[in-house]
Amino acid sequence: MHELGLAAEIFRIARETVDARGGGRLESVTVVVGDLAAVEPDLLEFAWKATVAGGLDEGAKLHVDWRPARQLCSSCGEVPERAEGSWLRLCPRCRQPLRVEGGDELEVRTMTFSEGAA
Amino acid sequence: MTEIDVKRKVLEANASAARSLKETFGASGTLVVNLISSPGSGKTTLLEATARALKDRFRLGGLDGDIATERDAERLQRAGIPARQILTGGACHLDARQVEKALAEEGSRLAGLDALFIENVGNLICPTSYDLGEAFKVVLLSVVEGDDKPFKYPAIFSRAAFTVVTKCDLLPHVDFDLSAVREQVAALNPSAGFLVVSARSGEGMDAWYSLLEEKIAWKREAPAAALVAP
Repeated sequence: MHELGLAAEIFRIARETVDARGGGRLESVTVVVGDLAAVEPDLLEFAWKATVAGGLDEGAKLHVDWRPARQLCSSCGEVPERAEGSWLRLCPRCRQPLRVEGGDELEVRTMTFSEGAA
Repeated sequence: MTEIDVKRKVLEANASAARSLKETFGASGTLVVNLISSPGSGKTTLLEATARALKDRFRLGGLDGDIATERDAERLQRAGIPARQILTGGACHLDARQVEKALAEEGSRLAGLDALFIENVGNLICPTSYDLGEAFKVVLLSVVEGDDKPFKYPAIFSRAAFTVVTKCDLLPHVDFDLSAVREQVAALNPSAGFLVVSARSGEGMDAWYSLLEEKIAWKREAPAAALVAP
C-alpha cells in the first residue's frame, strides 16, 4: 500500500508544473499506470482524493490510463488471453513458454488547470 | 482551462536519488544487491550465513528495512559485518532517499565496501517499483510459501536477476513443485538465474557464494559507468 506516497509525488509534480506556468487551480491529472507497476488504480484514486482534500485543489480529478503488460510467444506473437489476475504460462496455441513485456509505466502524462484561480 | 503535456515519471525523485547512489557505488566499486521477499522467507538468515562465509575475504555491509525493531541489523552485526537498520515507520518498501540518508549518517562504516546487501521490507509487491541504486535485485521464495508465487507476483519475478528458492531442506515435508517454479520464472524472465539453497543445511550455498564472488569481481573491474550487472 504505497499509493499514498505515489499520490503525493503526482501532486508535487502537478503543482510544480502549474506554478511554473504562473499558478492556478488544478483541474485534472492523467497518469499512465502499467500492469507491473504494483499500483492498484482504485487505491491510487482514493489516495489522490485524500491528498487534494481540504486544499485549493480539492476536487481535482485523477484519471488512470491503464496499460496492460503484453504476453509474447516467440512463434505466435502477442497472446491476448490472460489468466485472471495473472499470466498464462504457455502459449494457448503452440504450448511454448510466454514472455512478458512492458507494463512498467508510471508517469504523469497530461494535466489541466484553470489559470489564476489559486 | 489549459491542458499541458507533462510526461514526468511519478517516481522521478526516487530515480534521481538512485542515480546518485549508483554513481557513489560505481566510484567505490561496491556491488549492491537488493533482496526482496515475503516476510519470513529467510533474507536475514541467508545474509547471516553469507556474512560468516565471506567476511574474511571481502568488506561486506548490510542495510535492513523493516517497519519496526532493530533485530535484523543486530543479527548481521552478530554475524560479523557492519549493518544499519532503516525503520520505515509503517511504509511497505525502502526508497532511494532512505538509503542515501542512512549511508550518509553511517559515514565510513558503510562506505567503500566490496558488497552492500539491502534487505528490503518483507513484501513481494511495492519494493519492486523502487530502484535503490542496486546492481541487481534478488527475489527469495521459501518452499513453505507455495509453488504458485511467480505467476501470482509476476512483477518482482520478472525484474529480479536471480530467484533464490530458500529452505530447500524442507522440500520432503511440503508440496512444493520446484520444476513448476523454475518454469514460471523462466517464462517471466528467461535470463534470470535460479538457485536452490538452504542456509540451515548448507545445501546450494556454495553456488550462492560463487555467484557473489563473481559479481564482486565484476564490479571491481567494471568502469564506474557500468550500472547494470551482466
